[in-house]
Amino acid sequence: MLLAQVIVGGLLLGAIYALFSSGLTLIWGMMNFINFAHGEFVMLGMYVALLVVVWLGGGPEAFGFAAAFALFVLGVVVYLSLIRHVMRGPMLAQILSTFGLALLLRYTAFWIFSANFVSLPQVSLSGTLNVAGILMPVPQLVAGVAAIALTFALHLLLTRTTVGSQLLAVAEDRNAAMLMGIRPDRMQALAWGLAAGSAGIAGALMAVSYPWSPSVGETFGLTAFVVVTLGGFGSVPGAMYAGLIIGLIQALSAYWFGPIYKDIVVYALFVALLWLRPQGLMGKA
Amino acid sequence: MRWGLPALAALLLFYPFIFTGPFYWDIGVAFLLAAISASAWNIVGGYAGQVSVGHSMFFGVGAYTPLLFYHLWGLPPVAGVPAGMLVSLGLAVAIGMPTFRLRGHYFSMATIAVAELIRIFVGTWELVGAAIGLQGPAVGRAWWDLTFRSELPYYYIFLAVLAVVLYTTFAVERSRFGYYLRAIKAGERAARSLGVPVRETKLKALMLSAVFTSLAGSLYSIKTGFIDPESGFGILVSVQMVIVAALGGAGALFGPLIGALILVPLQTATNTWFGGGGSGLTYILYGGIIVLLARFEPGGMHEWWLRVAPFLARRSHAA
Amino acid sequence: MTKSSAMMAAAIAAAAAVISAPPAQAAGTVKIGILWPLTGNAAAAGQASKAAAEVAAEIVNNKHPELGNLPLAATEGLPNQGGAKLELTFVDHQGNPSLAQQLATRLITQDAVHVLMGAYQSSCSFTATAVAERYGIPFMVGESAALNITGRGFKWVFRGTPIASDYAATYMRFFEDMKKQGKKIASIAVVNENTDYGTSVADSIEAAAKKNNIPVAIRIPYSASSTDVSAQVLQLKEKQPDVVIFISYTSDSILYMKTMKNLDYLPPMVIGDDTGFSDPSFIPAVADVAQGAMNRSAWDIGKPGSTTSKINEMYKAKTGRDLDDTSARNMQSFFALADALNRAGSTEPEKIRDALTKTDLKPEQLMMGYNGVKFDDTGQNILASTYLIQLKDKAYQLVWPDKAAAAKLDWPMKGWKQ
Repeated sequence: MLLAQVIVGGLLLGAIYALFSSGLTLIWGMMNFINFAHGEFVMLGMYVALLVVVWLGGGPEAFGFAAAFALFVLGVVVYLSLIRHVMRGPMLAQILSTFGLALLLRYTAFWIFSANFVSLPQVSLSGTLNVAGILMPVPQLVAGVAAIALTFALHLLLTRTTVGSQLLAVAEDRNAAMLMGIRPDRMQALAWGLAAGSAGIAGALMAVSYPWSPSVGETFGLTAFVVVTLGGFGSVPGAMYAGLIIGLIQALSAYWFGPIYKDIVVYALFVALLWLRPQGLMGKA
Repeated sequence: MRWGLPALAALLLFYPFIFTGPFYWDIGVAFLLAAISASAWNIVGGYAGQVSVGHSMFFGVGAYTPLLFYHLWGLPPVAGVPAGMLVSLGLAVAIGMPTFRLRGHYFSMATIAVAELIRIFVGTWELVGAAIGLQGPAVGRAWWDLTFRSELPYYYIFLAVLAVVLYTTFAVERSRFGYYLRAIKAGERAARSLGVPVRETKLKALMLSAVFTSLAGSLYSIKTGFIDPESGFGILVSVQMVIVAALGGAGALFGPLIGALILVPLQTATNTWFGGGGSGLTYILYGGIIVLLARFEPGGMHEWWLRVAPFLARRSHAA
Repeated sequence: MTKSSAMMAAAIAAAAAVISAPPAQAAGTVKIGILWPLTGNAAAAGQASKAAAEVAAEIVNNKHPELGNLPLAATEGLPNQGGAKLELTFVDHQGNPSLAQQLATRLITQDAVHVLMGAYQSSCSFTATAVAERYGIPFMVGESAALNITGRGFKWVFRGTPIASDYAATYMRFFEDMKKQGKKIASIAVVNENTDYGTSVADSIEAAAKKNNIPVAIRIPYSASSTDVSAQVLQLKEKQPDVVIFISYTSDSILYMKTMKNLDYLPPMVIGDDTGFSDPSFIPAVADVAQGAMNRSAWDIGKPGSTTSKINEMYKAKTGRDLDDTSARNMQSFFALADALNRAGSTEPEKIRDALTKTDLKPEQLMMGYNGVKFDDTGQNILASTYLIQLKDKAYQLVWPDKAAAAKLDWPMKGWKQ
């Protein structure tokens, strides 16, 4: 029945929100840094997917990896060349730097790919599953499941591996970490790589089902901010839950009140959260 | 450099006669508008260090009210300006009180969210034109409709307003209030322990900033004769204010002017040279320059100037 | 403080010098200033229209006797102005109404254009036409939908294309026809993107439906930049209207068709209000799921060898794509403008304006399916009209009105079903 359909749809999209927001929360929690260009990482992931499919004729696995890899590299480069230098500066400089970066990335994409909306040509994933009357398009289903899996994988990476604990150590106390022989600079570069990479895969996953253009980064960026705030800065599990919740709230609001109001509901929630519980669901107080 | 300020004033006053013609006058007007908005933002964002990226909420209110007065009651748009300022004042209080409890990034995020909320809401509100927006009188009924064919009158009106904003900022800078602002920017906790009434000061700064930003919005909509949710409340409006102030030097009296001086001609130039080709080069350049400036001179051009002329530099704001 | 003001004083002069100088003026040319969004969200449409205008200028400026009755095609330049050629100056307003205002001023005062054309987004048309009105320069609006662009009592603004209320009236006539043929139209749904374009048209359709006693089961405004439209489709599925009218841009149109397939929702008929449905990327993206979807268009490529087909060939040679309805409407307005410029016999604004008011182009002189071009005293072309076309296989075919139809109308639409 229709309500269940709405819920499933919302959750599947929410899973993707979770994926690209988990990277943002990592950076944010670790370096206390707002990245206005995060939405653009997602957008670029979509274009990488397009290039892989169109030029190299690759399939879903190929473009997923390609997007992850390409964006990982970009994230590291951005950190090393720009972020590292503005991090200690006034917050104003931080905002300026990543906002400028967002413009740069968005319009370079525009210049190379033009403003036309594009979508991926028919890929191997197609069809719709019918489970108990609920229709789930295969591409969206696969994307949603993959997104959750990847977010979970990121969480495991952070909590169960040596590298992960090094990353978290730097997040918690930079100086203490240095004393332990961990190089914060390297860890932060890695964090940026992971964040951009996960944004990239999220983009590639979305590219399968939704058309896009260079300007979609702006909306995704704002969504990521909301998710990160709800989930709590620095908490990847928080981002996971928050992503799903936001996806669900969006879908339900759109269905009950009308699509125009879904954004109002999400933002109002966001503002209420900031005022009443800024640390979000699982962030550090 | 005693002659600096009078020289500047003279240049601004006589600019339209040095660079004649509507094309240059329009750039002058755009420059003044950017300078006014950024200077207004500077009061709370630069001096007090409270980086609001949602100032478009005040700009939008100020932009809508004059055209609303015209649209609903046929009054000249100017009549709506004080109303806009009052609503902005109320908005500042309503938003400021809960939001100033938040620190740093949280504060900025909250301002973005509130501004977006207002934008979307206005886009669905029939009374104010919803998504279509509002128009002003295209051909004026009398001089007080302020629909001039030439840019010249706008230029001088805007210049007068800029002078008022700058003078107010100057007065603030030198007052105890300004001292409190700088203390807060340097460190809230320390300021509080020194007896600075932090919450009250921040709120006052926001209120003052809001009123001037609203005025800037009114000037914009009166000149353009049109407003819609995107041009009034859009996030780019907020970001432009921040960028202009930051580029020039936030927290410095003339910082926003310097920023406007760099950005406005740059925007016009890239649009003129590349615009017709439509490749987006305008924004690539814009973005690139912003990144470079943030990377190499985060304190803004004002800082750079202070470093470059050390023998003449004196700290323009006392510690 | 005096430090920075000194720096500023010096820098102001330097900065202003960066701006380009006014271009030189060629003798014997008639200059047309064209404002379109060449970057930003609507850039694709702006660029397509730009190419169309360039093709049109090429047709007017050079001898093209193969284009039959099209005014000024057979001659070189404007005969009544000593063969003066048309010179186009394009500016990019980026979808920003304030910038549109600035650029219109610049075109008039700096580039000394004789007429203006534009501006796609209604918000930009509002401000740019106000400038033209203030300066007394004729402005031809090619395609903006908002009703009161020509409703403000302006003397210098003309619009060549149909407006929202025309489209609404067309749809109503179509529904009447369908009902006479026994098709069930108990209710319709209107889904519109919520900026000025979508809202204007949707408002007109709702008003017309009310007058014609056709219930609107649901009206769904949405944001064109939505990632996901499942909620909207599910709302439609719940209401089960007989016809769904979409007033959408490109990516949302494609998204709707795909989502409808995913959620297994196929109304008896879908009508797209041009724009997104006419975009070159629409058919390749959703031809397999949107068979039978209808669209409105005043442009039809026509049979090979026809004038319209030849024009399409010229456009295709330039851009690699077929001419779309929006660009075609701009092109037609351009031809009407050129015709008036020719009849004016001079570049004086008042004479051009006068020639425009006296425009009376007959259907055979047009590339579009209008009943003619004639402006009423608000500047609106009252003979503008539109066809309805239907997607069959990989192309749209003209199916209504009957007398112009090239193919049979399929009702209900097949969608993705065989």
